[in-house]
Amino acid sequence: MTLLAERTRPPVGHRRAGSRSGRRAPAPLRVVAFLLLAAGSLVALAPFAWMVATSFKQPQDVFTSTPHLLPTTEEGDWAGTLANYTEVFELGGFGGAFLNSVLVVAVLIPLKVFCSALAAYAFARIPFPGRDRLFAALLATIMLPSVALLVPKVYVTQWLGMADSLTGLIVPSLVSAFDIFLLRQFFLTHPKEVEEAAMMDGASRLRIFWSIALPMARPALAVVTITAFIFHWNDLLWPLVILSDQDNYTLPLALQALASGRVAQPHLVMAGAVVAVMPVILIFLIFQRRILDGIQFTGLK
Amino acid sequence: MELIRQAGARKGARPDTFVGWLFVTPAILHTIVFMAVPAAGALFLSFTEWDMTSAPRWTGLRNYQEILFDRDLYPDFWISVRVTLLYAVLAVPAALFTGFVQAYLIDTVRRGQGFFRLAFYLPVVTAEAAVAAIWRWLYDPQFGLINEALGLIGIEGPDWLGIPEMVVPALVLIAAWQSGTAMLIFLAGMKGIPRNLYEAAEIDGANRRAQLFSLTLPLLRPTTFYLTVTGVIFALQMFGVVYVLFGRDIGGPESAGLTYVLQLYVSGFRDGEMGVASAMSFLLFIATLLITALQFRLSRRDAAS
Repeated sequence: MTLLAERTRPPVGHRRAGSRSGRRAPAPLRVVAFLLLAAGSLVALAPFAWMVATSFKQPQDVFTSTPHLLPTTEEGDWAGTLANYTEVFELGGFGGAFLNSVLVVAVLIPLKVFCSALAAYAFARIPFPGRDRLFAALLATIMLPSVALLVPKVYVTQWLGMADSLTGLIVPSLVSAFDIFLLRQFFLTHPKEVEEAAMMDGASRLRIFWSIALPMARPALAVVTITAFIFHWNDLLWPLVILSDQDNYTLPLALQALASGRVAQPHLVMAGAVVAVMPVILIFLIFQRRILDGIQFTGLK
Repeated sequence: MELIRQAGARKGARPDTFVGWLFVTPAILHTIVFMAVPAAGALFLSFTEWDMTSAPRWTGLRNYQEILFDRDLYPDFWISVRVTLLYAVLAVPAALFTGFVQAYLIDTVRRGQGFFRLAFYLPVVTAEAAVAAIWRWLYDPQFGLINEALGLIGIEGPDWLGIPEMVVPALVLIAAWQSGTAMLIFLAGMKGIPRNLYEAAEIDGANRRAQLFSLTLPLLRPTTFYLTVTGVIFALQMFGVVYVLFGRDIGGPESAGLTYVLQLYVSGFRDGEMGVASAMSFLLFIATLLITALQFRLSRRDAAS
């Protein structure tokens, strides 16, 4: 059970010609597979290309029966514009929503990772009576589908006076049992000797956690941080049931409001969609190997 | 005495109750407030009539009775059950099949493994609201790219989101586009199969197709099972995409896209029937458990035969 330890290894078969994979396919087959994959990835990426292309088009160039990927007029003259972006930022409330989204993840993610790591470390390393039963109880909460608790969770959040505020987006999500489970697995694989030597030198538990365990757990913390960022940046359901004031909207809500307008405005909606997905896509591109290998070994979404 | 204890106990393993509790307190406190209390609350509230403003009124099993048997009062309930089951039954195999083919091909090529993995996973990290916004535009009956592409090969595309029969297929197509998770996990499974098994098969004269059907697929059965179970649980909770896809027209034409959680959301947060929504939540929880248990049972029988 060293799921997380696996994550620190170099990714299997990445950039190394199917090194571990069992079947050495004959060359013609490899070419066919490559062509199929190339076609498949074009299909997978086409919606993104179309989103970006539409976001730079003027309204009159959007509704044409012959679609152009580049923002051009019917005659084929260049007609790209940034007007859709200024419009969603100024009139569509995307400026405020962007700030709200940034604020929420900037406060929530570090706290969430810290709280989860703190508990995970104790469950892995600090013996105390009842510890393992407590951990089992915590694990049981993973089984509960989040939707099933939605109604009372909203009520608890209201009762604590956090409804319709960014606090109400942050506090209820501060701890994740799943992250605690993952990080505990990782701490369990640490060699004990370093920590024991530090104990002999009289270092406190907190000191050992902060100066030894956390730095060693960096790869695991990175995966937990990035997956939490992607989840909370994209989350629609919780903000939807907690927020009512438009000023508190996060990007997914602002996009949802824009998309359900009475008049179809694909050029604006696509500009909004670009704003909502770009930060995640950038983070994903930067850390893609770490994320993909991490997910491969844990099977989390 | 002290000496004996020290010699007997492993260093670093002495109980440290105060610090231990200190470390886990934030997580435990949070779990009690935001998980345990809501879990108990959900069950209690499901036996009450409650609009979130006045005190809940105890009504016993009435919510369950009315949801399950009173079609005039909650006509959407069984519609949403049918839509959600249909979606799960079609979308999960579609995503698994697409993901498997992608993984198999990636495992075959030498170059570009990293890029293909990235391209197929990108739709998974995209926000639901954005996924719905993009596909709504792609499915546009007049200017949508999908029907434009179908037109190129001489097929007249339907009004995907406007015809009730086409709504679930449209959702299944989106699910197949988001096959990245299945692709990644299948790929990990394939990389984990020892090479010498294939070498032995080759010596026995098994061609590539025989290797696929008698080696790769059977060995990946646990992977397939894991992906099926998690995929179904996920599909039963489908909400964000349909909510944004149909905008004001909740559930789409003739409620053909009204998923379970979407109608739960409408009952609780639009109609203000929190007791009813809690009962629906609890029914979803039970249904998820039952369906998961059924899958475990089927897979065991499968393995035995």
